[in-house]
Amino acid sequence: MSTQSQTQNRQLHWQRYRYPQSLIQFTLVLLALSALAYSIHFLNIDLQRLLSVFGRVGEVLAERYFPPDLAYISQPGYLQSVIESIQMAYLGAILGMLLAVPLAWFAAWNVTPARRWLYPLARLAIMGSRSVHEMIWTILFVTVLGFGMLPGVCALVMFCIGFAGKLFAEEIEVIDMGQVEAMQANGANPLQTFMYAVWPQVRTAWTGIAIYTWDVAFRAATVVGFFGAGGMGWYLKRNVQQLETERVAAILLSIVLLVLVSELISAWARHRLSRRRAGNQLQNA
Amino acid sequence: MSILHVNQLVARYPGAKTDTLKEISFTVNPADFYAIIGPSGAGKSTLIRCINRLVEPTSGTVRLFDQQITQLPPRQLRQTRRHIGMIFQEFNLVDRMSVMDNVLSGRLGYTSTWRSMLKLFSQADIQRALELLERVGLLEHVDKRADQLSGGQRQRVGIARALMQDPQLLLLDEPTASLDPKIARDVMTLIQQTARDLQIPVLCNIHDVALAKEFCNRILGLQDGRMMFDGETHSMSQQDLDRIYEREVL
Repeated sequence: MSTQSQTQNRQLHWQRYRYPQSLIQFTLVLLALSALAYSIHFLNIDLQRLLSVFGRVGEVLAERYFPPDLAYISQPGYLQSVIESIQMAYLGAILGMLLAVPLAWFAAWNVTPARRWLYPLARLAIMGSRSVHEMIWTILFVTVLGFGMLPGVCALVMFCIGFAGKLFAEEIEVIDMGQVEAMQANGANPLQTFMYAVWPQVRTAWTGIAIYTWDVAFRAATVVGFFGAGGMGWYLKRNVQQLETERVAAILLSIVLLVLVSELISAWARHRLSRRRAGNQLQNA
Repeated sequence: MSILHVNQLVARYPGAKTDTLKEISFTVNPADFYAIIGPSGAGKSTLIRCINRLVEPTSGTVRLFDQQITQLPPRQLRQTRRHIGMIFQEFNLVDRMSVMDNVLSGRLGYTSTWRSMLKLFSQADIQRALELLERVGLLEHVDKRADQLSGGQRQRVGIARALMQDPQLLLLDEPTASLDPKIARDVMTLIQQTARDLQIPVLCNIHDVALAKEFCNRILGLQDGRMMFDGETHSMSQQDLDRIYEREVL
């Protein structure tokens, strides 16, 4: 009774937006929007021209790139290069991810064996690999090692270290530390702790990341040859330079097809994996 | 002879303004089931983690038998930790491993790195794990994954894992806080019985005063990192209890 009368006498008050914070928030949104408007204005993007692109692309494709020279890409030499690309991607992805595993372990703040030196070193290695684009790595390795498969594999290894290493490490940083603590309390050494408390927790997520890494590495492997690192890209470059547009069309077609097949397979694998994870969560609940 | 001797222990977390533990001293004897009670935030978990240095004490000493734990370098610390079994509030089982592997992981400190990588535990260890699982009543669940068990069952696995170490001291960090009252009592009874059978002294964090009074022979009362009481359970009066809980730290 008494609380009711109090409520009637006194107006209760609540506001979602409060003065200093709301001003800051709205200002930030306004700034972001005006930056966007300014960039569009600065680039002078002409919508008319942008739209007319589609018509011209069609014209060029029809006149110069059609029909694709399918006989050219059925030659043993080219097929050999397709195999080479796949091998390169496979080697690069496997080696890269094998190196990424310890680096990710060292670069995860919560479980790194030495925060003073291993952590910053591993972070540096992963960030270094990431900061350089895989095509630039290819150019660098071709310059140092010469033409062929080897620089391509090296470039892909560097790419995988940066790509998978970062994602692996992020996955470690969100694990349940209680399990790690339990192993440490047992007297387990850091490697044992990693194998028994970290690995079981990240295994499924890492598999998903590994499939994804393979996807991107394979796509990169089809074009590293453009910079002299063997595989299909080498054929692509030669024919682009010789203006053999119908052959280029056929090669591009084969790249699209291969990447598509690879993505379909990994999409299927990821789908299976996520079903398994969903199953795990149900069991936990 | 005392098993564990803690002297003037102080702990402060990096960046904190005050000490979490303020000059704590106490002694655990061979037959003790020692309870640490106190309100939330009093430093109970910190105290128990300072014993096996999951938390680094700022100053003071912890002596287990004749060894100063507080000064040990990493390798020796790992060797000493093998002798201290620990049971956790959240069980801390490795969810995605089998019950058997969880129990066997208690032997990691005694197993060489390469053998443990391949999960090649000795036949004696496997025999011992089966015996312990039988003791805690989980023999038929040996191949289940840990996350398929109920809370009480998981804590039993936790107990088996700690016993796998052949510990000379058991640390219990709120072993019953995640369990319902009936199962909490069962788990405490099991721990008490086992500790008696195997003659292992126990140091136990517990916020449930009734359980502490029932199962423990000595009680240490903490409030805001300060020792408010230390003595035999039967010598603790209602006044002492009120003093321990008079200022709740939120």
